[in-house]
Amino acid sequence: MNIPTNFALKRGPELALEGLYRKLDAPFPFNEILLSEANDEQLKALAIESGTGLSLDEMKALVDYFALQGRNPTEVELQSIGQAWSEHCCYKSSKQILKEFVFGIDNPQVIDRGDAGVMEFDENNAYSLRIESHNHPSAVEPYGGAATGIGGIVRDVLCMGCQPIALIDPLFFGNLDTPMDKLPKGTKHPRYLFSGVVSGIRDYGNRIGVPTLSGGVFFDESYTGNCLVNVGCVGIASKSHLYKNRVGGVGDNLVLVGGRTGRDGIHGVTFASAVLTKKSETESRGAVQLGDPITKEPVIHAVLEVARRGIISGMKDLGGGGLSCVCGELAYAAGFGVEVQLDKVPTKEDGLLPWEIWVSESQERMMLAVTDENLEEVLHVFKFNDVEATVVGRVIPEQVARVFFNGVKILDMELKFLTGGPEYCRPREIRKPEQKVGENPPKEPADYTKPLLELLASQNICSRDWVIRQYDHEVRGNTVLKPLQGVLGHACHGDASVLKPVEDSWKGLAITTAVNPWVMAIDPYRGGKGVIDEMCRNLVAVGSRPHSFSNCLNFGNPEKPERLGEFYEALKGLGEAAARLNIPTPSGNVSFYNESESTSVMPTAVLLGVGIHPDVRKSITSDLKAQGNLIYLVGKTGAEMGGSAFYRLAGGTSSQVPDTDIPMLAKSMDAMLQAMGKGFVHSCHDISDGGLGVAISEMCIGGQLGAELDLGAMGSLPSTSKLFAESNTRWLGEVQPKDASEFESLFKEITITKLGEVSGSDLVICSGEELLVDTRISDLENAWRHTLWKQMGGSE
Amino acid sequence: MRPEDVKICILRIEGTNCEDESLLAFKRLGANVELVHLKQLTGQDVWDSEKRDLMDYHILMIPGGFSSGDYVRAGAIWAARIKSKLSSPLTEFIKEGRAVLGVCNGFQVLVEMGFLPGIDGVMSQVPQAVLTTNDSSRFECRPTLLKYVNNFNCIFTHKLNQGQVLLVPSAHAEGKLLFPTEKAEKIYKDLEENDQIVFKYVDQNGEYAGYPWNPNGSPRNIAGICNPSGNVMGMMPHPERVFHRFTHPDWTRGFSSPVGDGRIIFESVLESVMKKL
Amino acid sequence: MFIADIRITLKKGVADPEGKNTRKALELLGFTEVSEVKTSKFFSIHLNTADEAAARAQVEKICVALLSNPVINEYSYELRPEKGA
Repeated sequence: MNIPTNFALKRGPELALEGLYRKLDAPFPFNEILLSEANDEQLKALAIESGTGLSLDEMKALVDYFALQGRNPTEVELQSIGQAWSEHCCYKSSKQILKEFVFGIDNPQVIDRGDAGVMEFDENNAYSLRIESHNHPSAVEPYGGAATGIGGIVRDVLCMGCQPIALIDPLFFGNLDTPMDKLPKGTKHPRYLFSGVVSGIRDYGNRIGVPTLSGGVFFDESYTGNCLVNVGCVGIASKSHLYKNRVGGVGDNLVLVGGRTGRDGIHGVTFASAVLTKKSETESRGAVQLGDPITKEPVIHAVLEVARRGIISGMKDLGGGGLSCVCGELAYAAGFGVEVQLDKVPTKEDGLLPWEIWVSESQERMMLAVTDENLEEVLHVFKFNDVEATVVGRVIPEQVARVFFNGVKILDMELKFLTGGPEYCRPREIRKPEQKVGENPPKEPADYTKPLLELLASQNICSRDWVIRQYDHEVRGNTVLKPLQGVLGHACHGDASVLKPVEDSWKGLAITTAVNPWVMAIDPYRGGKGVIDEMCRNLVAVGSRPHSFSNCLNFGNPEKPERLGEFYEALKGLGEAAARLNIPTPSGNVSFYNESESTSVMPTAVLLGVGIHPDVRKSITSDLKAQGNLIYLVGKTGAEMGGSAFYRLAGGTSSQVPDTDIPMLAKSMDAMLQAMGKGFVHSCHDISDGGLGVAISEMCIGGQLGAELDLGAMGSLPSTSKLFAESNTRWLGEVQPKDASEFESLFKEITITKLGEVSGSDLVICSGEELLVDTRISDLENAWRHTLWKQMGGSE
Repeated sequence: MRPEDVKICILRIEGTNCEDESLLAFKRLGANVELVHLKQLTGQDVWDSEKRDLMDYHILMIPGGFSSGDYVRAGAIWAARIKSKLSSPLTEFIKEGRAVLGVCNGFQVLVEMGFLPGIDGVMSQVPQAVLTTNDSSRFECRPTLLKYVNNFNCIFTHKLNQGQVLLVPSAHAEGKLLFPTEKAEKIYKDLEENDQIVFKYVDQNGEYAGYPWNPNGSPRNIAGICNPSGNVMGMMPHPERVFHRFTHPDWTRGFSSPVGDGRIIFESVLESVMKKL
Repeated sequence: MFIADIRITLKKGVADPEGKNTRKALELLGFTEVSEVKTSKFFSIHLNTADEAAARAQVEKICVALLSNPVINEYSYELRPEKGA
């Protein structure tokens, strides 16, 4: 990939393209591109040299468009189209599939589908949500990349008029113990990336005062060459303060607020839409942006202030594509056009070329539409907060974008063409799970305590406190359930965090993350359904009803049929489940090209799930509460070990991954929530990675209480399946003996099994006569607690 | 005097981020509280209607956050800005016995300004203490238990019983309270004699303990101190985050009252001010 | 016109957790020969002052007013003329 820093000036006579540039009369370097004279080879070379990454077909569409206009494009126009038509901005490979499976899921609670989705919270308030990827920048510069990822997602929520109230950050890296000599060339060590990304999220999230409430860290070889950094945000606003991502009307001023524009972040979107190569590190530094949380924090204040005063017409953040995308989109969304004076844009340094200003993705910037009448007050609010605010353009009635620089017109295009972008139906190939993995069950172990302890200590299950406690998860003072739950000093992983977002109400928002790339890699269709199931389980486990979700779909190169086949199948499963449960996804993000020269990431569909809690004072945590309480298993267990943590540990493979019975999921959720509403459930944990064995261990650690379970009643399954299968739609619940019969009666036609009770300070699990596990809680905790600390260092 | 007669200023600048919950803590008790940007006190870039006078307030709170990014040193830039513009009204404010509370970053600011520990007068020209990098060198967001060790000198805590333990969470990277090495012993003695130590970190048994119960390695487990007159208090943990029981980290394990452990600090100072007025 | 290169260090005897933890991280990365890491802060400040003595006085004030806390910090600096100014 080629990231020129000085597009117009650096070409020499040795390039075949020389004759295609004609200098135009302007007091700054400014060229026309003689597209009409270019042959195919030159068009391809132009796409590469300009850094736009457009395909030959796309270049030809440009040739046709400008032939109709009777002129050639300027270099600014070519850059502008390169941005607008990138995969990152226009979803050209995924749009049709998204339309087929998820865009149609709708209900009256969906208020808006803008930069963030907006959902009804209660009669007077709405919440917004979005999750997106920041993968490529983080792979090159982990600290800055992750920090700017947070900045970007916060702006998405902010520009709907919402106060950001929660951050979510699922992260995916190669194995922490990867030997240095096994690292692909040009790749940074997972430990370095992990440490840098966590620091970036910590320093940015903590500084802007938004609690980090959910996430996850996942390690697998497939992420070594291409780590994934997803960032999500949830916001809240009074319905009367919501805004659309569009201007109000003709004559509105476009006010650019926040940080200055610089060369940092040139070509970020085209960077995000390409495969990482060995050279990416050195060549792409220009595309990674530097974040400044202390510019950001006052921007949040000032934007919320003008939003609450009702003195703006609409707003949008400057993300991918910078000004080139935001100006046109804001105006065109309302059916208008825009005139921009590019020389008015405050820059970080002198000498930026107009096209650089136009496409720069410098951080901390937003565009507000403001009427003449309100302009003075808006500018005052920003000055008061020490945030720069500059009028850079004006809304015009024609649906065109016209851009001027020092009095010279440098861009004049129809917005319909510019923002239209191509849509592709690329070829896809669907491979059956059996074609990918064989049936190689590992040997049934002689003793199950050892594998249980090994699972607890494994890098994908062990304690995340090394990460979680670096993030402020309580700022704003509304966090009712924290990410770590249980006895002080022994708190363990919960399924979801719960916030109380509105002062005069006890209604809550539950927030969780769901993903299982190992299952999705084997069977993307079942994996797609399964991720919806996991999200629902997590949200129900704390007592909330799943209400909406945002998705971040991280896949490989969509131009490879097998990768697009995975995407199609995953979306099909995900969409089917969400549609049947009628849980809308009002926002989302697709990240393709997550592959390096050597490997592609596993298909990784990440959900940010939001549930509504009727009364946060009835929230349920995962830690066991009292001796003598009964422990129930809700749901049916199958011998579905494909993709399971146990098989990965024991070296087994199977194509049989857990399937989801969607009507059963709906029924089970209802029964669980009913039981919780009646106060029968004292602790609850969903069963996921590591199966029942890990779930009960975590409940014991968090509650510092033992348990005695008999899995005999689970039927004739192998003991490994009983203990470690990751079958969907299952929870463990703690119920007082006095409520047992009434609790059971709520689960009609749903498999529930009384496994045993909370007892002593050991975990003892048998299956009929056979003793499977017998260990002290302190041993479970020791196994679980230290892995990341040992790998990453730091005083524990 | 009624709570609504008590005027409270929650001061903010860029990077302050605990002002909303701090405001709510006082508001829930019925007090007349408002968020005020430093510029509203200094008069810079503000319309007349936005100007405020520090002396109109009974209580000043400097809330937590990362003022000015905590660049240079935590709290240092904000402290320097207040010092250059407001040191005389603020000294007057404190001399009159009005209340000043600094939480987390606010504590750091009060120390950097020389208002705490304030052993030799209201304000020292150079800082007498520092809140420096945690021993772990990490940001620490975790529940902390505070033992009340004051003999009722401090107006923010007089409703507490001696030896009472409160759960008040911490979230900071720079909370280790240090004094100049050569004078430290003398200062600890003065602090004891002046009844200036308010809170100390303890473990779940109420005993003084090391990390993680003491999240930053503060010598003698000091979590919060006040000035000799007891009207300026700084503490690292965040009482505003535990106004309700339902934001305690372990409330689902059972509780006797829906009141959170942090509320009593806001009640105490409000009551003290109401009695005096 | 002068540039002051100012270094803020920790006083002798003051613990340096950042240095200590950096050393540990280096050890984990295989740099076992690293025996100690000390951290300090460096500021480069450009002064619009023609007179060197006046510049020196300014720098002293800057160090005391903001850059250092005497409880834990020491400061040192070098003053050099700004080239081309």
